[in-house]
Amino acid sequence: MPAFRTIGLVVNPFAGLGGRVGLKGTDGLADRALALGAEPLAPARAAMALAPLAGHGLRFVTASGKMGEEALARAGIPDSACVYGPGVPSTAADTRAACRAFLDDGVDLVLFCGGDGTARDVADVVGTDVPVLGIPAGVKMYSSVFALDPGTVARVVLADGPARLADAEVIDVDEEAYRANDFRTVLHAIVRTPSAPGLVQASKRVFEEADEDRARAAIGAFIADAMRPGVLYLLGPGTTTGAVAERLGVNATLLGFDAVLDGRLVGADLAETDLLALLGDGREARLVLSVIGAQGFVLGRGTQVVTPAVIRRIGPEHLIVLGTPGKLARTPRLHVDTGDPALDRAFGPYLRVVTGYGTAQRKRVGADTPA
Amino acid sequence: MPQAYYNREAGIERLATETGAGQWGSALAFATSHFEMDCTVYMVRASYEQKPYRKMMMQVWGADCHSSPSTLTASGRAMLEKDPDTTGSLGIAISEAVEDAATHANTNYALGSVLNHVCLHQSVIGLEAREQLASVDDYPDVVIACVGGGSNFAGTAFPFAGDKLTGKHPDVDIIGVEPAACPTLTKGLYAYDYGDEAGLTPMLMMYTLGHDFVPPAIHAGGLRYHGDSPIVSKLVKDGVARAVSLYQNEVFEAAQTFARTEGIIPAPEAAHAIRTAIDVALECRKTGEAKTILFNNSGHGHFDLASYEAYYAGNLPDYDYPEELIRDALSRLPKVA
Ligand SMILES: Cc1ncc(COP(=O)(O)O)c(C=O)c1O
Repeated sequence: MPAFRTIGLVVNPFAGLGGRVGLKGTDGLADRALALGAEPLAPARAAMALAPLAGHGLRFVTASGKMGEEALARAGIPDSACVYGPGVPSTAADTRAACRAFLDDGVDLVLFCGGDGTARDVADVVGTDVPVLGIPAGVKMYSSVFALDPGTVARVVLADGPARLADAEVIDVDEEAYRANDFRTVLHAIVRTPSAPGLVQASKRVFEEADEDRARAAIGAFIADAMRPGVLYLLGPGTTTGAVAERLGVNATLLGFDAVLDGRLVGADLAETDLLALLGDGREARLVLSVIGAQGFVLGRGTQVVTPAVIRRIGPEHLIVLGTPGKLARTPRLHVDTGDPALDRAFGPYLRVVTGYGTAQRKRVGADTPA
Repeated sequence: MPQAYYNREAGIERLATETGAGQWGSALAFATSHFEMDCTVYMVRASYEQKPYRKMMMQVWGADCHSSPSTLTASGRAMLEKDPDTTGSLGIAISEAVEDAATHANTNYALGSVLNHVCLHQSVIGLEAREQLASVDDYPDVVIACVGGGSNFAGTAFPFAGDKLTGKHPDVDIIGVEPAACPTLTKGLYAYDYGDEAGLTPMLMMYTLGHDFVPPAIHAGGLRYHGDSPIVSKLVKDGVARAVSLYQNEVFEAAQTFARTEGIIPAPEAAHAIRTAIDVALECRKTGEAKTILFNNSGHGHFDLASYEAYYAGNLPDYDYPEELIRDALSRLPKVA
């Protein structure tokens, strides 16, 4: 029996508009993109992904018109329930309102069609309450909520048995900076996303902890047990580092850096200056980081407060990287981008990633070039 | 053969044993069928699923083969309750086989590695290799074998270790090769520990990663053992032999090289020894030294082709062992007298 019976669908009709006309994202610029002759592409992408879902007895709830109803009709799924009517033209506020209506309806899955901007709007409302899956149609898709392509959406949604859920980071690229060719990303949120077995793991049989929650709990227990008295532990963003805090019984900031000393929280959501102050002169410290995003960033995505100065103070050898086996199977390489290339080179050619209680993997760092 | 024979002589009608990669289980299945005994094999789950035809092979020789942990024993059930998705380990399979023997009439437990008599039986390897080399007036400068519980290493190396200790060949370099994922000799503690997960065996003085350590599911299933033969451990401790550890992908790379040059597809366990032999030979090429390198190719890889497939698909994680963190974690545990 499939895990998802009722699905909330929201389409951002303007997603991807900016890409063709070189705008690097469409947030707030739909009019300009249309004026430049951009063709809306999201509705067609959504219909392509939805078509294989017709005739499987799924119940769809959606927003009217271009925000979902039309894509479902095009895909041969006529009997959807419209639970939200957006304004014309629709905006990000409509995406959020539609998601709220889906949650009220009790959907099992929120399917959205768009890019990173849409993912951000969906994540703001849905959080980790209900799994989220993206039909890729945006200009920027650095978040890991997206199916590989529209065709794989059906395989993930129709997979038999209980849902296999993994954490997925919603990554937000600063569009203003991006347009000025300054690539800056922020870890915006973390949601839960379904994955179909075999789809992300290729021909490998699963011998490791397939359940992400259990894997994370094992990692959290191991790191908590390994914490030494008098040593400052800086916990980075993400739910894997969050599992350490959970184990210790301290309240961690999901997207920021927290400091733990002797099992107690001594600083939350710290800025660079806070970190430097805590480190003082030569306090022994460890930087505990999760592998972030589909691209496998360890430093440089969502970790901007950990500046080269902070890393040098801690010592690059005092990095503890955490990642579930499932996440690592989907991440061929790790990346480090501290903003200081000389420092980046201190983290290679391999990093050790803790994957469970007392277990680890060695992963290559950097671009795909021979050792 | 000798284990089955002596048990039969003692009037035992059934043997229970563990197997990691499946080689020992297959061997004992054949031996027990030869002496008309019954045989039950607990095969580590990861290997059992990686190589289903090993089970068939044991069945051909009349043995029962169960995936371990199984529901047949209390220690197996306890492990499954703790972690239903466990990959199993040699330590767990040993617990099951020991418990099986203790709870069934006229049944003895047979161990496939680690213990002194097993090492002794295996020493035919090194004795014969030494004779063969002598017949061409040669003697190895380097002796290499992989180490799981230590039996094929012991069998290969002990005759040469004897020559080294008695001063006949003081310079022979003896190397045991283990996986980075389960680095007992290179990262373990030299201490008394149980030979099995549940603590049913007597304690042994050996290098150990802790009897409850469940190594990651590397494809060299025969090397997934937390401890090591006490004699092998002592030789490493005393510097008579040394140990190195390797990651999975570099091991399979060497396995492929060997298969393509020699026409023999080695088991992933054996490929650990091969990789080190290649490394030593390459080092010789650099330094210009000529060395005679002896290594033991401990088994073929015909049941391991799925792991070759995973290697070619780029799906083999380089499992590692976070030793500093483990040391920190262990230092916080209450000390048990
Ligand atoms: C081919 C092969 N080599 C080596 C080993 C390791 O065992 P030991 O260290 O006892 O020789 C095994 C164990 O299953 C094996 O199958």
